[in-house]
Amino acid sequence: MKDADRALVVAVTTRAVFDAAAGDVYGMGVAFPLLQSLQKVNERLLEKNPAESLLFDVVLIATDSQQQSSRIISSTSHYGLEVGRFCFSSREDLVETLVVNNVQLFLSTDRDEALQVSQKGVLSALLGRQEAPSESLRVMLCGDAIVRPDCDPVPASRGAAQSFSARLGEMRGRFGVSGSPLSIVLVTSSGGSKSCGVALQTLRSRGLSVDEAYCLAGAPRGPILSLLRPHFLLGDGVIDLED
Amino acid sequence: MSEIKAKDFAPTGDAGEEKDAAKAHFDNLKTNKPRPPKPQYAVTIAVSSRTLFNMVTERKIYEDQGLEEYVAYQRDHENEPLMPGPAFPFVKALMTVNARLRQLYPDSEELFDIVLMTNNHAQVGVRLINSINHYGTLHLQPDISRLARRTAAAAHTFKGSPLYPNLHTMSLQLPFPLSDLTIERFCMTGGESPTGYLEAYMTNLYLSKDSEKVSEAIEEGIAAATMFMAVKENELSDTQLRVAFDGDAVLFSDESEIIVKEGGLDTFFAHEKKFENTPLAQGPLKCFLEALGKLQRKFYAKNERLNCPIRTFLVTARSAASSGARVLKTLRSWGLEIDEALFLAGAPKGPLLQKIKPHIFFDDQMFHIEGARELGTISAHVPYGIGQKYNKGKLIESPAKKK
Repeated sequence: MKDADRALVVAVTTRAVFDAAAGDVYGMGVAFPLLQSLQKVNERLLEKNPAESLLFDVVLIATDSQQQSSRIISSTSHYGLEVGRFCFSSREDLVETLVVNNVQLFLSTDRDEALQVSQKGVLSALLGRQEAPSESLRVMLCGDAIVRPDCDPVPASRGAAQSFSARLGEMRGRFGVSGSPLSIVLVTSSGGSKSCGVALQTLRSRGLSVDEAYCLAGAPRGPILSLLRPHFLLGDGVIDLED
Repeated sequence: MSEIKAKDFAPTGDAGEEKDAAKAHFDNLKTNKPRPPKPQYAVTIAVSSRTLFNMVTERKIYEDQGLEEYVAYQRDHENEPLMPGPAFPFVKALMTVNARLRQLYPDSEELFDIVLMTNNHAQVGVRLINSINHYGTLHLQPDISRLARRTAAAAHTFKGSPLYPNLHTMSLQLPFPLSDLTIERFCMTGGESPTGYLEAYMTNLYLSKDSEKVSEAIEEGIAAATMFMAVKENELSDTQLRVAFDGDAVLFSDESEIIVKEGGLDTFFAHEKKFENTPLAQGPLKCFLEALGKLQRKFYAKNERLNCPIRTFLVTARSAASSGARVLKTLRSWGLEIDEALFLAGAPKGPLLQKIKPHIFFDDQMFHIEGARELGTISAHVPYGIGQKYNKGKLIESPAKKK
């Protein structure tokens, strides 16, 4: 059980982690590689400091009555996934469940679900769907809302976003420039190089040091996103990584 | 739809594009800078950080002390603009052409688009962006720009001496920045090779100091070259982009060079005469020449042929009499024009290039690159074809590929 105050609590829906399949054990879903990456980050953090308290704490939330609780738990154990807590909730109670469990980031494959949650003030993001994602955790930030907060489509979760970024930055700071199990990727869609520079420096002042930066300045996003293959994308409201 | 880009590109979706366009418009209202062109219509030039800026000192720190020290050094100096690198005059000339194109065709997206493509870490990127901004303000008078370039050149020459730090700061105290530099797009990959992103940005030409990355790009079918600073600096035109190309293994395939290397000159002449009317196959830089030609025709269409701000040169070791015809006929069969074709019949290229004063000169043989550099021409090596296995006519052992 992770230190409640210091851990970075990330909640994922079981629907995203497991695919319905025949048999006792579920198949691996879209979020599976993400969980493995989060675990890898924790391992590396503990390697550096066995007493480390700033770790990822994964909460699995089941709102889908189709998935059986016993199979969820046995599947988790089968794959050796490290899960802090299981929550069996309903769709109506989802936000409350997240708040009660002190979730700092909610990840889903369902755009409507993610949007609904973020409008209630809990930071939410859509999961990437790429094939063969990288082993290291790749977090993408959309810089446009950082530079022009008045254009932030979901102002309710802005505070949560900033505090999550700061904690993530602290975690990233435990590792050196290269060889980190966690990479922060900044993308700005509109605005030129100057505004992307402002985003870089703003994030730095909030404690988050970005590793990779891509300034599109109006160029189409699709080709670049498909190369970047983030595990999830923060900021810019809740957008589909396939956009 | 423009013919400049070979690939077809489908837009991402109306809502997304509209939003992007609106945001971009909003930005332009604030900055008064022209909006960068849409990639599918533009001629996209990707430049690495070391070709755009002089990072010799910083590179040495990276090689001697490692990545962490290098990144820390860049952060400590991030408010000190970097000095121009080998691609800087070329990029500046591209901006000049853009300004003229915008005057004649205010709504067209057929422009040069410069992308900074680097595997530097984003924290180093802050200094790169600051440096771009430093050069991106007022348009400068020609005579002051020359003074600044001479200062920069002096800084290169004195780089080993205790004078260097002084020259470095002295040049930064100029009353005006060096030129109008607008680079709005970039990729800072934080360690990964940027080659994969070249296609995503629809790159027409990639310039880097890293020959491995350049080779990778050429293998992917993207025109690319490794840049070399000139040993001294020639005065370059402020008003006209001048690009010089070698012929074989640059604009054309290396098929004829293979014949020279394996059969000798006489075999080569006989072969070229026999196949005079058969077009040569295309080389890695042919598409770039084609893109330049399309932009040139936009000026001709507006009666600006005499005043065209783009001029192209062919500088080949071939001789006009014995092997020149095939080259010219090949260009004609491709529908391409070259403004000046210079046949050297084996004479050194350096002196001629010194007179032409191109902003960039592409050649596949290091021997010619060295000759050009020595006499003040900024050169770009195209690592393609059989010429890579030879040095000054001798077959070299190819080294094991570095991982």
